[in-house]
Amino acid sequence: MIPLSYYLACSIALYTIGMYCLAIKRNMIRLVLGIEILINAAHLNFIAFSAHLNQGYIDPLGSSIVIMSIVFAGCVTAVALTIVTYAYKHYGTLDVRKLRRLKG
Amino acid sequence: MKKKRIAGIVAIISIALTFSMLSVSQEFPIFSSTETPEIETPEFLWTYRLIDMIAQAFVMFAAAACCVTVLRVEKKE
Amino acid sequence: MNALLIFMITTPVIGWLAHKRRYRKIRDLYAISGLSVTAYFLFELYVDVSAKGPLSSCYLPFEACLQVDMFGVFMAIVYVMIGLLAAVYSVRYMERDTGLAEYYTLLLGMIAGMMGVVFAGDFFTLFVFWELMSLTSYALVAFRKKRWAPIEAGFKYLIMSAAGGATILLAMSFLYGMTGTLNFANLGATLGSVVPNEWLYVTLTLVIVGFGVKAAIVPFHTWLPDAHPEAPAPISALLSGALVQTGAYALIRVLLVVFGSVQNAWQMTLMVFAILTMFIGNLMALLQDDIKRLLAFSTIAQMGYILFGFSIASPQGLTGSLFHIMNHAIIKGLLFLCAGAFVHQVGTRDLKKLEGIRRKMPLTSILLAIGAIAIAAIPPLNGFWSEWLIVLAGVEAGMLLFSALMIINVLLSVAYYLRLIYVIVLKEPTPISEKATEAPRSMLIPIVVLAALCIIIGLYPGPFIALAEAAAKAALSL
Repeated sequence: MIPLSYYLACSIALYTIGMYCLAIKRNMIRLVLGIEILINAAHLNFIAFSAHLNQGYIDPLGSSIVIMSIVFAGCVTAVALTIVTYAYKHYGTLDVRKLRRLKG
Repeated sequence: MKKKRIAGIVAIISIALTFSMLSVSQEFPIFSSTETPEIETPEFLWTYRLIDMIAQAFVMFAAAACCVTVLRVEKKE
Repeated sequence: MNALLIFMITTPVIGWLAHKRRYRKIRDLYAISGLSVTAYFLFELYVDVSAKGPLSSCYLPFEACLQVDMFGVFMAIVYVMIGLLAAVYSVRYMERDTGLAEYYTLLLGMIAGMMGVVFAGDFFTLFVFWELMSLTSYALVAFRKKRWAPIEAGFKYLIMSAAGGATILLAMSFLYGMTGTLNFANLGATLGSVVPNEWLYVTLTLVIVGFGVKAAIVPFHTWLPDAHPEAPAPISALLSGALVQTGAYALIRVLLVVFGSVQNAWQMTLMVFAILTMFIGNLMALLQDDIKRLLAFSTIAQMGYILFGFSIASPQGLTGSLFHIMNHAIIKGLLFLCAGAFVHQVGTRDLKKLEGIRRKMPLTSILLAIGAIAIAAIPPLNGFWSEWLIVLAGVEAGMLLFSALMIINVLLSVAYYLRLIYVIVLKEPTPISEKATEAPRSMLIPIVVLAALCIIIGLYPGPFIALAEAAAKAALSL
């Protein structure tokens, strides 16, 4: 069995990559994908913990949480992509930096 | 531009590796505070899947309402 | 209480089906009646909880769903009150917009989500309702999509708030890994007796960041000055008055219950963040010309006060914070609804163009003045009592430097509130504000109710302070 710390390292690496994506990328769709990466880091964590309690036994609470959370992540992505689609259809740009018309 | 992109990738890989190594070095106290995890909640949820499905259905209904709101057609009077 | 839950969840569904009818006002009235029935059930719930102590679970035979105690009921009272008044206001305010069926659906869904958050007894239930509340608020901010600014503000808000939600989820996963449960009572019991290790501090950081995005703590507040002005006015009132308070509620609940063993760590951290929030909110608000943006920055500053009161970690501090949550919801709702009345009549948000609008809209201007005086903590109105309680608690706990900083901030905020009153009430009317007429009566009724509440709470704060004290005791005793 792969030790737990590798799974933890992987999920923290995913979280860092997601945050980097949100901070640096300009394309709106890449920002939405960054959110997805962040949420999936947490999902990986849940499943890793639920599998490592005893050998051969998976704690069902982790799995039930992940099943519901995948649905919520999908909903957030759906609403975000709706806004991106609307912005692209009406304003022709997907660049977040061009959106900086509100300042102060 | 090329240099900036390579610098960015190097930076992010090094940050991700740093945090991952830090997390590997500290021992994680898995389930340290309980001997057995509680079983009643997940047992109930998995027996009666309808309940968590209804919760998901409400959030999905709200998401659908959001998409309809953003994509609605405004008729020109 | 069971009926309350069922109703809370079914109002969005039926609110949308109502748009099939021909007569449009039925849909609006249906939403308002839904909220009124919820208010009635909430009152019954309040009587139950104050008599018998915290209720837990619903009619389902397991504990991991809902737990209603005085803290939750207190917040829910605030939400339903502001929500009901915002719904009444939006009957007239939104009449020129399309898509109103979805608007009421999302509004009720947002209030339902907020009530679910405050009634959650389990971290995952809190997350479910948190996502419901956030999703509906994304579309409500981007509601008037014909202009560019709401879309940009909505997208920026969505990205930051979803990132905050993902951080909360990661914190939940670490807590689950450490204890195997997500129930608040069990988490408190098991983590309370454990020696803090590094992972607990990491989780604490993630919790503060995740909830702080919604609660407008300073490095994570940048969505707020864009999202609050661009939302329609009743939604602004709800966002400012209720949504950021929900972030504060969740932060308070989780930190008190789960992280009791590392209390010294989060107490100092939150105090520093609170002072920073206050300063940045007040200083930025001094520079604003847009009335709703000024109010948005003032929301950030007020959240700084609330966090400061909480981080003192004494019952008096928490009482002051909770009382200020209630007062801030009422006053900020009042201010945003008045600003919305100006925008509805004149069409601009610029303070320079709105000068002297008192000549044409006298009642609205007087009510705005009452709200500004209240929130500037001038004595006979309610803001004074709650900020006084927080400062008093700070002094009693020995944090003299920070209490002095808070007093400095209150004085700074008086500057821009008085400027607001001066511009609206005392200056000469500009050509644009000459064209205004008085706001319609159905928009004025909620504003008058809120202003009356301000004055009543200001003159007789006793029963309301007792309510906040009961809520604080319930929060601390879990």
